[in-house]
Amino acid sequence: MNLRAIHSAIGIAALALLSALGGCKHSQGGSTTTRPVNFPSDNLIGAVPLGQVAGEPARVVTALSIDNPYHDNLQAIQQGKQLYIRMNCAGCHAYNGKGNMGPDLTDTEWRYGGLPIQIYETIRDGRPQGMPAWGAALPPDEIWKLVAYIQSLGGTVSISDYEHARQGDQPGEQVAPEAQADAQFAPTTPIFPTPIPAKAQTPSSSPTPAKAGEPKP
Amino acid sequence: MWDRVVRFLRAHENARYLKFACLALLIAASSSCSRPSTPVQDSHAYDPGSGSLTGATLNPAPNDPPGEWRSQARDYANTRYSTLDQINTSNVSRLRVAWTFSDGTLNGHEAAPLVVDNTMYVVTPFPDILYALDLTRAGEPIKWTFKPNPAPMAKGKACCDTVTRGVAYANGKLIYNLLDDHTVAVDAKTGKEVWRTKMGNVETGETMTMAPFVVGNKVLVGDSGGEMGVWGWIAALDVDSGKELWRAYSTGSDQQVRIGDDFKPFYERMKGKDLGTSTWPADMWKHGAGSVWGWISYDPELKLIYYGTSNPSPRVPDQRPGDNLWTSTIFARDVDTGMARWAYQTTPHDRWDYDAVNEDILMDLPINGQVRKVLVHLDRNAYGYTIDRVTGEVLQAAPFAYQNWSTGFDMKTGMPIVDPDKEPHPNVKLVNVCPPDIGGKDWQPSAASPRTGLVYADIFNICMDVTDNEASYIPSSPFDGMDMNRYPAPGGNLGEFIAWNPVTGKKVWGIKEIYMTMSGVLATAGDVVFYGTTDGWFRAVDARSGKVLWSQKLGSGIIGQPITYLGLDHRQYIAISAGVGGAATVRADVIALRPYDFPAGGNTLYVFSIDGDSMSSGPGQMTSKDNVSTTRPETGNGTQH
Amino acid sequence: MNPPLALLFNKLPMLLAVRVEPPMAYPHTFGPAVDPITRLGWGLGIISLLVIVIIGILLLGGVLRKRVASSAADPHQLAVRRDAGGMAWIYVGGGISALVLVACMAWTLLVTAEVTRLPSAPGLTVQVTASQWWWSLRYLNAKPSNIFTTANEIHIPVGQPVRFELASADVIHSFWIPQLAGKMDVIPGQTNVMWLQADQPGTYRGQCAAYCGRQHAHMALFIVADTPQDFAAWQDLQLTETIMPTTEENRRGERIFQTHCAACHTIRGMNPAGILGPDLSHLMTRSTIAAGLLANTPGNLASWIANPESVKPGTRMPAQILSGPDLAAVTSYLNTLH
Repeated sequence: MNLRAIHSAIGIAALALLSALGGCKHSQGGSTTTRPVNFPSDNLIGAVPLGQVAGEPARVVTALSIDNPYHDNLQAIQQGKQLYIRMNCAGCHAYNGKGNMGPDLTDTEWRYGGLPIQIYETIRDGRPQGMPAWGAALPPDEIWKLVAYIQSLGGTVSISDYEHARQGDQPGEQVAPEAQADAQFAPTTPIFPTPIPAKAQTPSSSPTPAKAGEPKP
Repeated sequence: MWDRVVRFLRAHENARYLKFACLALLIAASSSCSRPSTPVQDSHAYDPGSGSLTGATLNPAPNDPPGEWRSQARDYANTRYSTLDQINTSNVSRLRVAWTFSDGTLNGHEAAPLVVDNTMYVVTPFPDILYALDLTRAGEPIKWTFKPNPAPMAKGKACCDTVTRGVAYANGKLIYNLLDDHTVAVDAKTGKEVWRTKMGNVETGETMTMAPFVVGNKVLVGDSGGEMGVWGWIAALDVDSGKELWRAYSTGSDQQVRIGDDFKPFYERMKGKDLGTSTWPADMWKHGAGSVWGWISYDPELKLIYYGTSNPSPRVPDQRPGDNLWTSTIFARDVDTGMARWAYQTTPHDRWDYDAVNEDILMDLPINGQVRKVLVHLDRNAYGYTIDRVTGEVLQAAPFAYQNWSTGFDMKTGMPIVDPDKEPHPNVKLVNVCPPDIGGKDWQPSAASPRTGLVYADIFNICMDVTDNEASYIPSSPFDGMDMNRYPAPGGNLGEFIAWNPVTGKKVWGIKEIYMTMSGVLATAGDVVFYGTTDGWFRAVDARSGKVLWSQKLGSGIIGQPITYLGLDHRQYIAISAGVGGAATVRADVIALRPYDFPAGGNTLYVFSIDGDSMSSGPGQMTSKDNVSTTRPETGNGTQH
Repeated sequence: MNPPLALLFNKLPMLLAVRVEPPMAYPHTFGPAVDPITRLGWGLGIISLLVIVIIGILLLGGVLRKRVASSAADPHQLAVRRDAGGMAWIYVGGGISALVLVACMAWTLLVTAEVTRLPSAPGLTVQVTASQWWWSLRYLNAKPSNIFTTANEIHIPVGQPVRFELASADVIHSFWIPQLAGKMDVIPGQTNVMWLQADQPGTYRGQCAAYCGRQHAHMALFIVADTPQDFAAWQDLQLTETIMPTTEENRRGERIFQTHCAACHTIRGMNPAGILGPDLSHLMTRSTIAAGLLANTPGNLASWIANPESVKPGTRMPAQILSGPDLAAVTSYLNTLH
């Protein structure tokens, strides 16, 4: 071998090493998510009615197109499960979600609505029969992760099924022609969202239910 | 042997006398096997039997009228024993439903009705409605209804269904606890509220489910919330005004636990200053639970009340190293001052949710030739204790149900010997620990009979797999951490009804049941004991032999407490609620074990009598305006021993 | 000069500029749990160097040795000398090598045994739970009421062996304080036990040594070795009651903490007491926050609380939406936690 070849070999090896070092970016890691920037605003969340819209038969309530930004995000589901245990959700709703002091979260029965946005609201605002309000202790990011975990349990209502689920319809059932949603009343523009005044964020504006972790002074 | 007989017969083939003899023998045998065709007319003819198997004597004070049932436990000693014997072993199989009452609610029905002055008082689970039924009229019409309107928030804080375990009667008032931490007194005649006292804050996760206990002019109450990180306590209120007279906490400094100079525990490990804080990591005693949600008994001579405290919080032992006094502890306190006289911790540093809240039956037992004043306590940890109630010394401790968490009991130190393989640690699945959190026996109260000297109890035969998860303390949410899966212990049966000898620490007999047995027990002078199963069978058993004499299927599972009383018509009645719930339905895993569908909820009070006779059914258009006849009926004579 | 080489010389200064930061300098150790290893390391290193030098000299000698010419140039005779002197080299050389190797092996085994065995009953046991990306510490004590929890900064008494029980809350981490002990992995589902001892007072920096996620590089911890008196004082301080806020702003800050932070963080004596994040009791006794990433100053604290994602991307601490005055109040309150 001549000297020139030896020099070339060393040079190539060094080059390869340096380029490898230079290309070594700060690793992204496999344990976090790209945090979505746009969470549904509180305006929008409050606009979803729990009950039926008075006087409007079988409408499609379009605000329900707001899905969980973390839907099907495996890492968010994993972190949501960690929160489910550490925030004591498992203490009331059981470690397998089947319910105990609190209702079953894996079945399709939802007292206050089974859409992701309605479950978000339940967790954030609490409910009268003992569900605490977590909105002060957990920012929206964390609550959406919890919703993602609950969605992974299988009982929640998907957005496209909302109107049907609310009327007790099951997939694959027969529909008498007279029971079809009345096309004459189908809106061309969505009824919701109607902008409503932003709900006050301070806890003192909602006297019931009690916030999580805060006994009355 | 057989060919000898054949040869004999062949040899005497023609002997007619033999054939007649055989025939006569057969007739005699069959006639003695037939049932008596006429009912027993006179209860004085009833044979009391061969006497007590243990030599136990019980004090049935206070001297309530035998035909009434004025407190949940019947008397201060918590015997749940009635001296009525109109219903006895010879006629109990003729019990039939006499009348029923639906209270309009759901959830677990754990209480017993009270009968005072020909009025029956029935309390419901949440929303804690109280009914007064007029037993002087046909159809037992509702005299008044009391609706206290407890806060709905309390429903989400009750670990084991929104139950109440009964009301107490004192000075013409019914006193009971609402789920939302209020104790309320209601006038027995009018149904109007007399006083209401707020005892705690339901927002912290604290509720109240226990039946108050009256001693003289004091009523004793305690809180619930062993899974919610509450601060456990027992308090005495004045019966007439509802004012709190004293409160003793279950953790904290000696002053908070009301431990003073006359505190004399028997065992060394319970002697020391401020053990209610020093046996916990920094500050964890403040939400260490030790709630008082079970039964209280009272010795009128010693003037001491006896009760137990719940498990420590959280249910993850590695988060709280130390003995965790004074949780899972039996206390003896002076009833007037609340100062503790002695204490005994049944499960030090409890790792499995073994509360000490089960009833303490006060008996006088001959032990080693000497009569001792004892209390008999079948604990959650599956040990049946006989404890000297003057000093707190354990005289006898033996398992009454299947258990593997301990390998023995050291009588010298009064400590169970824990199997280290059965200690749970966070994030590790521990398999086959027996009994599970609900124990070898839960709050369902046992009864004692002075005639047999035995204690009768519904027990569990269940094991669990458990994984602990460290818990955050966030008031209003559980402070728990136990992830469990429960299943039957060896034998396959979930429940059993046993007769327990408190002197020898042995089971005398037992009746296995497929389903859990979670009802209270009633013992009577007719030598019949009653219990019910969670799939709805109500049974009467011979108190001596353990033979099941009678069964009746009710509309729902039974977790209530049976009572007996004498109606205005001089008939003896047995009353029991059927409405399953409580801890029996807390976890879906236990329900999944059953071969058939677990019964649905219910809310019916069933009242039984011999042949079902009562003033609630008969010919003609009966109405609730008809008075109950006080003339003697054909059967029964209204007297008792 | 041809291009590859030019490239190499251009990059060389950058390579040389990378240096080992002094706190992590593992060759300089301070405790009996690791001093034997250091000695062994140096010893084996020197022996290896000696071997290289000796072999190098012998090789050079062999290469440069003049060939011995034979006096009678017999064409049928091979120019090889086969006398016994050649084999002697083999036997002696092999024998010395074998002896040295066996000695090294024995030394290694002895050192391994010494550092893994607890020399005497440990005076202190600390339970360490590693999470992404911080360390929870629980100080055990025979008296239960002296058991307390803290985070990220371990104080130990000088001159006493300290036992560590290592557990993980999520993934595999590794517990490594190079100047005091070797690495011990922290594996979920099992508890690994190790010990160490500091012979001199001072602050020793440690690091998570098993890749555990995005912020693995910023999962530091500090072991502060105190004199026994200082350690007792620190322990007593950790057990004292949390100071109650006195000013209006601090009270407001405490309320904000209770509402927005306490579901994850415990300050002993306050409700709620969450365990998802580090225990913050007596926070001001620690010299760093965010697991050694930031110095514990009010400015750093405020920016950490305001936007943890920008400081430590991927961190599990969420950004609470606090207004300016609220943030100031809670930071002010936290600064009272001495």
